[in-house]
Amino acid sequence: MAKQEFDVLIIGSGHSGGMAANILAQKGLSCLMLNAGPEADLAKDRVLKAPWDLPYRGFVQPGRLPHVFQATAFNANVWVDEKEVPYTHDPAKPYNWVRVRLLGGRSLLWGRQSFRLSDFEFKAAEIDGIGDNWPISLADLDPYYSRVEAIFRVSGRKEGWPQFPDGNFLDADYGADSESIKKITELGKPRGILFSKIRASNGRNGLASSINLLLPDALATGKLQIVPNAIARELTVDKNTGLANGAYFIDRHSREEMYVKARTVVLAAGTLESTRLLLNSGLANSSGVLGRYLQDQIYGVSVAASVPEARDGKAPETLMGGTALVPRFRNLKKGEKHNFIKGYSMLIASGGAASPNFFADYGEELQKKIDHYAGSVVTASIYGERVPRYENHVSIDKTVKDEWGIPVLHIDVRDSANEYNMAKDAADTAESLFKEAGWDILSKTDKFYPPGYSIHEVGTCRMGDNPKTSVLNKWNQSHDIKNLFVVDGGAFVTCGWQNSSLTILSLAMRASEYLAEQMKQRAW
Amino acid sequence: MLQDMKRRRFLQTIAAAPSVPAVLAAQQTVPPPAPAGVKILATGRGDVVAEPVPRFFTHVQFETLRKLSDLLVPAGNGTPGALDAEVPQFIDLLIGQSPADRRQLYQSGLDLLNQHAAKQFGKPFGALDATQANSILRPLMVPVPWAYDPPKDLGSHFATTAHEDIRTATRNSREWAEASKAAGRRIAGPQLYWDEIDPIYKG
Repeated sequence: MAKQEFDVLIIGSGHSGGMAANILAQKGLSCLMLNAGPEADLAKDRVLKAPWDLPYRGFVQPGRLPHVFQATAFNANVWVDEKEVPYTHDPAKPYNWVRVRLLGGRSLLWGRQSFRLSDFEFKAAEIDGIGDNWPISLADLDPYYSRVEAIFRVSGRKEGWPQFPDGNFLDADYGADSESIKKITELGKPRGILFSKIRASNGRNGLASSINLLLPDALATGKLQIVPNAIARELTVDKNTGLANGAYFIDRHSREEMYVKARTVVLAAGTLESTRLLLNSGLANSSGVLGRYLQDQIYGVSVAASVPEARDGKAPETLMGGTALVPRFRNLKKGEKHNFIKGYSMLIASGGAASPNFFADYGEELQKKIDHYAGSVVTASIYGERVPRYENHVSIDKTVKDEWGIPVLHIDVRDSANEYNMAKDAADTAESLFKEAGWDILSKTDKFYPPGYSIHEVGTCRMGDNPKTSVLNKWNQSHDIKNLFVVDGGAFVTCGWQNSSLTILSLAMRASEYLAEQMKQRAW
Repeated sequence: MLQDMKRRRFLQTIAAAPSVPAVLAAQQTVPPPAPAGVKILATGRGDVVAEPVPRFFTHVQFETLRKLSDLLVPAGNGTPGALDAEVPQFIDLLIGQSPADRRQLYQSGLDLLNQHAAKQFGKPFGALDATQANSILRPLMVPVPWAYDPPKDLGSHFATTAHEDIRTATRNSREWAEASKAAGRRIAGPQLYWDEIDPIYKG
């Protein structure tokens, strides 16, 4: 039936799949990577266009991509078409599932914020008093973080704060902070609110993707084959051994179904697609928690203020400008009294413009206000950790199928009082800092986007030591099927306030090296 | 009928000789060059040479939208206003193709402005002078600190939504760009646009 058996079948080509291929191919294992979408030619498929030359003047075509708030007329062709691959949810419980199926996945487009998780996340249950710890700690992942930071050329400022672990950073010159950043930094100190700098992957030539940092080295070994437009439908297991032994996939264009054999299967299709594939295959769920504990961060809470001395273009040269990153500062000590657990970060930006939405004015009066406040605005954008909850889960909706006849996901997620209380605390805290600085509040909201908006969805396939309460062990290996690994964000136990990519990459590296060693020892 | 018969015969001929295209395909590894002397011809755009015709809103609604657009984004200081940029015509196109809830918001909102105008001044909103129209519009305009939590009041929801749409459509217009360029102002120029990549084969 299958023409060739591979050592490893890797499904997905983003950060996690790219890392798996990078490690495994260089270990000499023959790898086949299936990717659901096509390969983009970044030299030809991207062109410069003016909004007035687009059919809708820069607006997204009406009705297209209703769940992708990040979509613009310029990038609308990148995201997964919701009509081709729909998903369902209760209208009262919206969920924004933001997907890319191009080769390289979302690693083509990510914001490149690169933070390590800390033991406040890995050992969250000890701090929170409820929930579960990860089966690993920062010390376990530290060497892998360091190697990933080197590959992705992460820059950052070392601080020595346990809630914001330092890394293997490039030297970066952040220059002197503006007076406005200095002022708010000083005001934060007595409250335990510490200001640092953004940590970001520089990548190479403006790109920090699997397609330029991971897959080329894997292909150079001659051990990796990549098949685009190959949509995995179902994994198979050997009836006698119970081991995974291959997968059915569908050609995206012809819809021809094919089958490929492999000694090991690595799922890296993105948190929810990997889980969807497992659910559709009826595998790896003896615990009953496959699909559960879906989580990401709350985005959207924000406060904007104006620095009086900076209005009407009169800001002294050193007053405005720059950014600062405030890592989590809530619930770092046992016994802290708040009406929520976990915490949030704040991104501070100084020297911006006022949004027209801040005002009730229009026409000439609005323009006068925008000119008046131009360059005087400081904003705080808040990123808060959602609580992993058993009830927040995905399942298969057998009544709806995608363009290729594959049953779709039903997503059932609702925020809790913890998220709302955290959001209110964040908005109130930023407001009070700005007011204490003598700045005038222009806008404040403690509202946030629907779950999924952050594009940091994790969980649903979580790791743990107990096979009854987790899907994977600490090596991202299925408790049920030892030659099946899930190396994307599905393995997360808690999401933290941090962007997830650096942790996904590090976990994928660690799991892949373990996998290679196990195969070398013929563990299956 | 004769055309249909000819077409059928042609298709039958193709079907009877499946190996011919396959042989050709095997030989043609690169696209054939354009016939000698044929170049891409200079062409224009319909919206540059012709006037858009509103099709979605009623005449009264459209005149209301015109007045609203002129109030929200007037011309001034060397910049074109919404009317100069033919924004009402564009909004008619955009909203006419939008999901039902957005169409309903615009239709209800425009009707509401007209109801206020009829009640207070005895004529349509589109026929009011600026002072009269502003007296209806100004109370509806409120700050919107969170775009995904619009005002609960229909009039405010519509007015603030239309404001954002009209402002964006004006600033994204060719007229705005040309005026800004002529005045030496910075504009948001061309941006990186992703083409559709290998769309699903539809034959």
